[in-house]
Amino acid sequence: MKTLNEQISEVIEREPVALFMKGTPQMVMCGNSQRALSALRAVGAPVTTVDILPDPRIRQELQAISGWPTIPQVFVKGELVGGADITEELFESGELQRKVDDALGAEREPDVRAVALELA
Amino acid sequence: MAAVDAEAIRELLERAFPEAEQVSVEDRTGTGDHFQVTVASASFDGLSLIDQHRRVNDALAEPLGDGSIHELRIRTKTKGRA
Repeated sequence: MKTLNEQISEVIEREPVALFMKGTPQMVMCGNSQRALSALRAVGAPVTTVDILPDPRIRQELQAISGWPTIPQVFVKGELVGGADITEELFESGELQRKVDDALGAEREPDVRAVALELA
Repeated sequence: MAAVDAEAIRELLERAFPEAEQVSVEDRTGTGDHFQVTVASASFDGLSLIDQHRRVNDALAEPLGDGSIHELRIRTKTKGRA
């Protein structure tokens, strides 16, 4: 089985837009995770979400990889965009739309899906 | 986890950003664990938003790391921007 660190890194590298959040898109457990998710949805981004709540090690490993201390965390094409405040601010300025368009092209399927990490 | 008061957060920010034109800290819930901080500093000029927020996070690494800050909202301002 892959380590948590490897699994998290794979999500960041492979998924066009990755959102590490508290809860799932169906049951969001934190207002800030909701703010980030709403901004990404509003720009028609395909979003792959990872719930960090099932195990505290997920958050620890994620923080070690990204160097970012809080949840949520948004990545576009492997690059950390930021947390809820930055994502929302970039959405309001139109920059989030541009960033997602530049990274993924205007033609895209705005799916939202949750992936679960395998816990040892 | 022990709560931390807004004044302690402000001191950490003022130490990290001695040149700041504005440092404000709001305890959003009155419970000493949900904060809105605003820092206006010319030292942010030319930095991306993410690097500006990283500097704020770094200044508050201790209360973030020990869990005394449960939620942190950050607003940064460069010199040229209100």
